[in-house]
Amino acid sequence: MATQDKREDILRAAEKAPLLSPSAQRLLQITSAREHELMEIVAVVKCDAHLTVRVLKIVNSAAFGLLYPISSIDRAVSYLGERMVVGIALNDCAAHLFDKQLDGYESERGSLWRHDLQAAIASREVAQRARVEINPDLAFTAGLLHDLGKALISDYLRGTCAGLLAEIEQNQVADYLEGERHLIGIDHTEAGSALARNWKLAEVLQMAIAHHHNPGAAPPEHRPLVYAVHLGDIIAMMGGCGTGADTLRYPLDQGYGAFFDLGGEDLAAIMLDVQEEFAKIDTSLAETKEN
Amino acid sequence: MSNIIIGIGDLGASKGQDDILKTFALGSCVAVILLDPKQRAAGMVHIALPEAKINPAKAQERPGYFADTGIPALLREMKKLGCQPNARGLMVKLAGGAKVMDPNDTFNIGKRNILAAKKALWAFGLGPVAEDVGGNFSRTVAISLATGDVILSSPGRPNWKL
Ligand SMILES: [Fe+2]
Ligand SMILES: [Fe+2]
Repeated sequence: MATQDKREDILRAAEKAPLLSPSAQRLLQITSAREHELMEIVAVVKCDAHLTVRVLKIVNSAAFGLLYPISSIDRAVSYLGERMVVGIALNDCAAHLFDKQLDGYESERGSLWRHDLQAAIASREVAQRARVEINPDLAFTAGLLHDLGKALISDYLRGTCAGLLAEIEQNQVADYLEGERHLIGIDHTEAGSALARNWKLAEVLQMAIAHHHNPGAAPPEHRPLVYAVHLGDIIAMMGGCGTGADTLRYPLDQGYGAFFDLGGEDLAAIMLDVQEEFAKIDTSLAETKEN
Repeated sequence: MSNIIIGIGDLGASKGQDDILKTFALGSCVAVILLDPKQRAAGMVHIALPEAKINPAKAQERPGYFADTGIPALLREMKKLGCQPNARGLMVKLAGGAKVMDPNDTFNIGKRNILAAKKALWAFGLGPVAEDVGGNFSRTVAISLATGDVILSSPGRPNWKL
């Protein structure tokens, strides 16, 4: 297949991708708005029997180690926080993407979800340390979604890893993203953006997906959050949670210094917090997954 | 054959001749590998950060997390297996400490991990005979007790021996 055809195929697939569940859509809408209340989230969960069961199972999973079980949705949502509820809803309804085995990156099954989750946790940690105001829960959601484009392009990249890595080492392409474009005419950020448009995600989430590898190009009003996701992504890769051959093959954008003071000690503290939080959430989700 | 998986911040040592000690996807973390050819023993710690002072409670619970507590803890484990915890008994190898593409090195925890690991080893008169560190890629390490071979792997490239 010609490069141009691959690109068009992928864009068509992004347009035809199944929509998010109504609950997940509603949750993303609510949590992307500047002003919102936890009760709005509770209301969405209460109207969705499946989501209600998942949320209660997860809050009562051994990983959270609660002394007394929580049986009310209100308390479960306020204990887990809105970001976890969004995460649970997305994990359920976009499982076909998150759980896709990325053969085109030679990565293990489950690594896309694990990378996205770890990047989400790290993006939130970074957002909380910004000099400007960034909604940390929204940074988490953006982190979860940032690499979904890989699920769309991976199959077209089969068998290309070794060659692409060699091209990067010989400076024939600048990074993995440019390599993707050379090979199939599109990179995972553009494919992810097409999906985000199809899902009608809030602009800030679309920008985070589109620009997480070049945050300086994001519109100024969204730039701080996009930088948080950029750094969250890198922290996840440094923590050993990548998606295969592309791991660490992207440049760090020094422009983050405009929004964050991150010395070596801060970075170490963030990495430690991220690992602890990741282990907890990952186990609670795994424990409660129905087969 | 049994695989002994060493997670982030964990350490392990073995004399079981069928065992494989394995640690996955090091990223900026560093694996310190100790081999005792006489006792036919091997040990490994998966270090995430250079110094325990950032979180002493964590270091208590999981000494392997930090270079300055992980290396003494691994040496204690090796000693329990009958190894001499010094350069006469042990051979050291290092792997990991990768970084993102960054000419200014501002995010280089990997480099700090490597330096801290070497410093902690020096305190025992130990130094690496082989190392495969730095670069922009994540490494998986497998040590075969039967052969003493240390095999590294990374997605998109053939495995290699350290
Ligand atoms: Fe990416
Ligand atoms: Fe990523």
